[in-house]
Parts: sequence; structure tokens; C-alpha cells
Amino acid sequence: MMAQVLPAARRYGIAVVTVALFVLLAATTDGFLSQANFRNILDQQSALLIAASFATITMIAGGFDISAASVFVVAPLFALQVENATGNAGLALVVGVAVGLVVGAANGLVVTALKVNSFIATLATSFMVFGAGFLISDRSVLRASTDAYPAIARTRWWGITTGAWIAAGVVAVAWILLSRTRFGRQVYAVGGNAEAARLAGVHVARVKTIAFALAGTAAGLAGVVSSSRTLSALPSDDFSFVFGVIAAVVVGGTSIAGGEGAVWRTIAGAFFIALMINGFNLHQVDPIWQRVIQGAVILAAVSIDSWTQRRPT
Amino acid sequence: MKHAEALVSVRNASKRFGATQALEDVSVDFEVGRVHGLVGENGAGKSTLCKIVLGVHAPDGGSIRLEGSPLRLSSPAEGAALGLVGVAQELSLLPAMSVVDNVVLGTEEHWGPFVSERANRRRVETLIDEHGLEVPLDARAGSLSVADQQKVEILRALGRRSRLVVLDEPTARLASHEAAELLGTVRRLVERGVAVVYISHFLNEVLSVADTVTVMRDGRIVRTGPARLESHASLVEGMTGRHIGEVFPPKPPAPADDAPVVLRVDGLSATGAEFSDVSLQIRAGEILGLAGLVGAGRSEVAHAVYGSLAVASGSVEVCGHRLSGSVDDALANGVSLIPESRRDQGLMARRPVRDNTTLPYLRRFAGRLGIRAGREQEAASEACDDVGVRAESMLTPVAALSGGNQQKVLFARAVLGEPKLLIADEPTRGVDVGSKRAIYEALNRMARSGCAVLLVSSELEEVIGTCHRALVMRRGRIVAEHEGGDMTEASLLAAAFGPGDGTAEGRSQEPEAAAGEPR
Ligand SMILES: Nc1ncnc2c1ncn2[C@@H]1O[C@H](COP(=O)(O)OP(=O)(O)OP(=O)(O)O)[C@@H](O)[C@H]1O
Ligand SMILES: [Mg+2]
Repeated sequence: MMAQVLPAARRYGIAVVTVALFVLLAATTDGFLSQANFRNILDQQSALLIAASFATITMIAGGFDISAASVFVVAPLFALQVENATGNAGLALVVGVAVGLVVGAANGLVVTALKVNSFIATLATSFMVFGAGFLISDRSVLRASTDAYPAIARTRWWGITTGAWIAAGVVAVAWILLSRTRFGRQVYAVGGNAEAARLAGVHVARVKTIAFALAGTAAGLAGVVSSSRTLSALPSDDFSFVFGVIAAVVVGGTSIAGGEGAVWRTIAGAFFIALMINGFNLHQVDPIWQRVIQGAVILAAVSIDSWTQRRPT
Repeated sequence: MKHAEALVSVRNASKRFGATQALEDVSVDFEVGRVHGLVGENGAGKSTLCKIVLGVHAPDGGSIRLEGSPLRLSSPAEGAALGLVGVAQELSLLPAMSVVDNVVLGTEEHWGPFVSERANRRRVETLIDEHGLEVPLDARAGSLSVADQQKVEILRALGRRSRLVVLDEPTARLASHEAAELLGTVRRLVERGVAVVYISHFLNEVLSVADTVTVMRDGRIVRTGPARLESHASLVEGMTGRHIGEVFPPKPPAPADDAPVVLRVDGLSATGAEFSDVSLQIRAGEILGLAGLVGAGRSEVAHAVYGSLAVASGSVEVCGHRLSGSVDDALANGVSLIPESRRDQGLMARRPVRDNTTLPYLRRFAGRLGIRAGREQEAASEACDDVGVRAESMLTPVAALSGGNQQKVLFARAVLGEPKLLIADEPTRGVDVGSKRAIYEALNRMARSGCAVLLVSSELEEVIGTCHRALVMRRGRIVAEHEGGDMTEASLLAAAFGPGDGTAEGRSQEPEAAAGEPR
């Protein structure tokens, strides 16, 4: 019995746990089961989902990218400067995303060509990018000057904001890319066994570089969507965004060691964390305690994962 | 034979992985001072049996006793502390650490918190002298040849105060004289009162070294009995439940003199000293063996032809087209490689059989919406059936396959590529007798359909039994060529060791004498 249940639980554990949490909150919490609450969760998660779905791909390819936070902070600063100068929100969006692409590609090249450990490399580029943010914004808050810029993420289609639609689209692209394409297979191969991948004709450096470039691009888009939602952007050197991203990826069950994982896992992980926070808020748990509990839950999720993988079967 | 006491007794043990019953009602005794041979087809459950004894897996049912008292291990470390150690089928060294550090890992000599380098070194030197397993002490484990890495693994197991040593296919990666030495080591071990479990697909090796032999099939024990009552044929019959004729199927006809030359290698030299001035040709339909000692540069030549190792000079032509020296170009020109080490160079262990089989050829299944899953699945399972891969499904991770079946997945990948030139580096390592034949038949089929085959093999019998022609390498150079009836164990071995090497003659006799099976 255990023998059959355990592998399935192992494989779909995070999805099961997320659904269970949903049911628990629905049963116990007033105000949870409301359209407004769901819309709110979706809106709050959209930026994270955009960045995390591609961060999953980088992690499976064996990379550890922490530059997402800096791109998330700085891309909208570039975008808003362009918007303020030209009044063209479309151009601003393109510029913001392009900033992400450039940083991501640079990360990829540093990691593959100079063979620098990806955590260190992206830590270093993060500082540079954060610095560029202070320079471009002249250390001040930038605000949207047109109605078009906020419209990027705040327009409603069938009751759902465009920010959430964009997130859904990006998630779908990442999902298909990883699970259905040649590139996706090569990502798993590179992260799983780089030498074997090379001998099977996979361009290991190219695949890794593309993975980093895509992750940067997604982080740039996430930043623009977020600033469009909040109407402004603020220079900082705050790493917290990427910790949220990594938490979602890892709680979902994607391996930090590379070679294993999936986009759906990251989505489940993101919603698990989001539902938990939502539940705390609705129950008015002290935010300080929220952090403590959140940390404990992440630790528990990761431990359970490694316990089920490692214990003698 | 006097009755020896059982060190470890397994009673009615069973173990299931998903839908696979790996062990069913298995009872066996491993006795003090005896070598216990374990034979069976790939996936018969040999490794699993040993893993439950060593604490790698917990049995689902049944019991294990150590000297009569119940034993419940929850980790291999606990087993090791009780003197139960194993040399795994797959290597597990720390590549960045030196040989000495790897051998003493976990049992370092120390002075308070400080590791005593000198004492460790002396211990390893003594071990090496005692067992005649020569390896450079200060080399990084990762830089050693596979054979040397295997020796380090064995030294590590010998260095523990072990009471039970499990050797899971220890000679699969060794050259014949090294294998012979290892058998001597095993005998010395049991004389000191250690119990040894010896798993091998080289049946003659088992017959010559083991006191007791257990034959397994489909997770069950067929019989256990004294080795002297068994023969090669009786073991094969017990393992497979049927009679297998020759291991080697009849060779395909030798290529005609006017058969087109598929591979032409001219004056190929490595950037280092691995090999130099290698020239060879293979015609369509020809199987060319590349024999020699481990470390003679054969694998390096294979990689150079495939484009995965840079060369200093020389050229490689496939069907008249000069290769640029990249893996891509080789694949595009119909060259496939089965690399020497399935774990390090071949497989993505946690990925499904399907993904591992199709990885180099995914372009073929490209559809508008990504990979066409149905077609890919079909092609992968066809290729796997072709070479007899036994897996629960195409989506099983390769790590869950038995060692021999993992090797067959690599072969399936090559078959899928329908290559013009197949380079196979030790393709039957760890493969059971029946499946070996299946692989040889697949090789022959490919040759018949016009594929040129370069077979790198340390098993002389394999070279002689399957190849039309053989080249022998020694110290990076091709030193001899033998064809048809000229290919004999004696002639190949003499060339491999070379003239003027004082030990050559003595050694070249040894494998047959000690191992019984020319390799
Ligand atoms: N970790 C695992 N997960 C799932 N299945 C496994 C696992 N380990 C072994 N098996 C399955 O159990 C069976 C027995 O495997 P085992 O490795 O014991 O075979 P073996 O006799 O050692 O074969 P070989 O000669 O090929 O090494 C096989 O069908 C194998 O696929
Ligand atoms: Mg085995």
C-alpha cells in the first residue's frame, strides 16, 4: 500500500498540500471564498509568477540566479524614465523588458564563458544593477505620467486584470517550453548531467546562457507589471523579491541541484505560500509572527522533500 | 568442505519497487571465510539483495541476522560501522580529492582534531602493497582512468575493518591482468576470515573464485550450491531458464574489398600524450575492434573521432566528408558514440528512459507544438525493445533500472540514431550473458545494413568473437593489426603488452590461468 502511495505523494505532494490548504481556508476563514479576495491574490502573485516560472528553468539547468530582485527593481525605473520622457507606454514596456534581457544574457555569458559560479556571478551583477537603478532614477521615486502605463497591468478583461493575464501567458510559455520542446529537454539534460549532455550533442553553454537570458527577461517584465500595478517605482537594493521567487520554486519541489523540477510545481509552490499569507492576513496574525511561521513552513516543505527523496525505500 | 558459520543470514526477504518485485522470498547465508558468488540476468535482483544487507534499502519483508542477532540497518553508514561494506556497481568517489583522501575517507587517522596526512598515506601504501592494486597516491580521483577509480573504490572497501565485503561487478572496468590480481586479493581476504559476496557477469571468474554460488532469476533464488558443482553452461541455464548456445552470434560477412570506406582517420594526434599518429579505416559493414590495455588511449581516440576531444593534428573523414571536430558535426554526419562510463558520460539518471534514449535526435520528433510525444514514445520503445531494455515503462527514471539495463539504454540511443558509424566504447560492460548476445546481434544487424562499427573493448573474447579485424593500441599508438583467424588471445595480448616488457609474457598468461575467462 505504502509502496504505491508514497511515489505518488512524492510526485504530487505540493499540489495536494496546496489544495488541502485551500480547502482548510475555505472551511475556516470568513472572507476567503470571495471573488475580491481571489482577484487580490492573483494580482499580488502575478509578478512573482512571471519571474518564478522562468527561474524554474534556470534552476533545472543547474543555475542559481539571484539577480531577479535587482532586475525587478531596476527595469521599471528604466521603463518609467522612458515613459516620462516620451509618453509612450509601449516603448517603456519594451525598454523595461530589454533591460532584463541584457542583464540575463550578461549573467549567462559570465557563468558559461568565465565559468564563474552562478550564485556569485548573479550576486555581483545584482549589485551593479541595483547601483544602475539609483543612477538612472536619481535616487527618487518615479511615477507614471500617462494613463497608458498603469493600463499595462490594471486593465480588466472579463473581470481579471491584464497583469494576471500576462502572468498566465508567461507561465504557459514557460511550461510548454520546458515540457514540450527540444530546448526544455536540453535544459533537463544540462542540469542532470552536463558531460552526458555534451556527448549527446547538446550545446551546454548555449542552453545555460539562454536559460539565464530568459529568466532575466521574465524578471524585467515582472518589474514592469508590478510598477504598472502600483503606478510607481522606487530605487532600492532590496533582495526580498528573489527570495520569494526562490521560495516558490523550491517549495514546489524543483531541485536546487538541477536536473529535476517543473513549472507546475513552482505555480503550486507560489500559491501555497500566497494562500498561507492570505490566511494569516484574514485571521489578522501579527506580521512578525507571519514571517517566523512562513520560514518554518518553507523549511518543513524542503525537509519533507529531501526526506522522501533520501530515506531508504 | 567443513561447515562454515553464517556471518549474515537473510531469511524470506522481499523488496518491491513500484510495480517491480525486485526480491521475493529470498533466503541466503553469507559465510565467514567464503566467497559467495551471485549470478543472474540483468535485473535479477543481485544488487538489490546486497543493498538490503548493506542498509541501502530496507527490505519490505523478511529478516536479516548478523551472527544470529537481528539486524535492522537504516543507513549504509550503520552497516559500515558493523563491518559490512560494499563496492557499488556505480562508482562513488569524490573527484576533487586525492586517492589517499578517498581511500581513508571517514576513517582518517587523526591526532585530536587534526588529520595525520602521513599516517593516512602510510596506511594506503600498505594496502596497495598488500593487494597489488597499483594507483598513483596523489592524483585527484577525478583525473584517473575508470579502471584506476575502480581500484580506489576497492581499496576503500579493503581499508575498512570489514567483515563482509560486497563486490558488485568489480572487474567490469579492469584490464585482464588487473582482474586476475583482484581475484587473488579476494582469496587473500577470505583467508583472513572475511566473508565476500562476489557479483559478476563473468561466469568463469565466479567459478574460479567462489566457494558457493547462488543463482538468481526474477528476484528469486534458483539454487545455492558449491561452486565446484557448477559449470558455465549450468549457470547460464539456471540464470535464464533456457539453454543459450554461443554467446557470440555468427559474424556478418566481411565487407567486400570494394565496399565504400565509411571512416578514414589520418595521422590523428592528441594535444597531449594520449595518442599520436593514429590512422585507420573502416568499411561499410565492417566491425573493427580496438584492443589494448586500459589507458592505452583507445577511448581518447574514440572521443577524438566523435569530436568530443580536441586534436592537435590529423583528420577524420566520414563517407568522404571531413569532420570539423565538433560533436554536432559528428552527429549530423551519422556518427554515434556509446561512451565508456554510463554514469558520468552517458545518462541523466533521474530522467526517464524515453528522454535518455532520444536526447541527441529530438529534432526528428519536432512538430509545430514542440516534441510529438506519441512518435517519440514509439521510437524510443522500439529502440529499447530492439536491444532488450527491461524497464517498467518508457517514463521510468533510468536510475531505477538495473546496471545492465542502464547500459542497454545507451545502446538503444545509438540504435535510434541509425548511424553510418557507430563507436562503441565497452558497450557490454555489466551486461548479462543473454543480453550480451542481444547486443551483439544488434551490432551485427547494424553492420549488415551497412553501418561501420568501431568497437573499443577490453574483453579479448569479445573482440575476437565479434570483429572482422582488430587494431591493438599500446601507449597511444597502434602497434598491431590482426584479421580473421590471426586474431587470437595470444596475439592480441602480446601486442597489447609489447615486446621487451619483461612482465608481459608472465602476465599475459595469467588472466587465463587465474580468471579462466579471457577478457
Ligand atoms: N531504486 C530503484 N527504484 C526502482 N526500481 C529499482 C531500483 N533499484 C532496482 N530496481 C529494479 O529492481 C530490479 C532488480 O534490480 P537489481 O539492480 O537488483 O538487478 P541486478 O541483478 O543487480 O542487475 P544487473 O546485473 O543489471 O546489475 C530491476 O528490475 C530494477 O529495475
Ligand atoms: Mg546490479
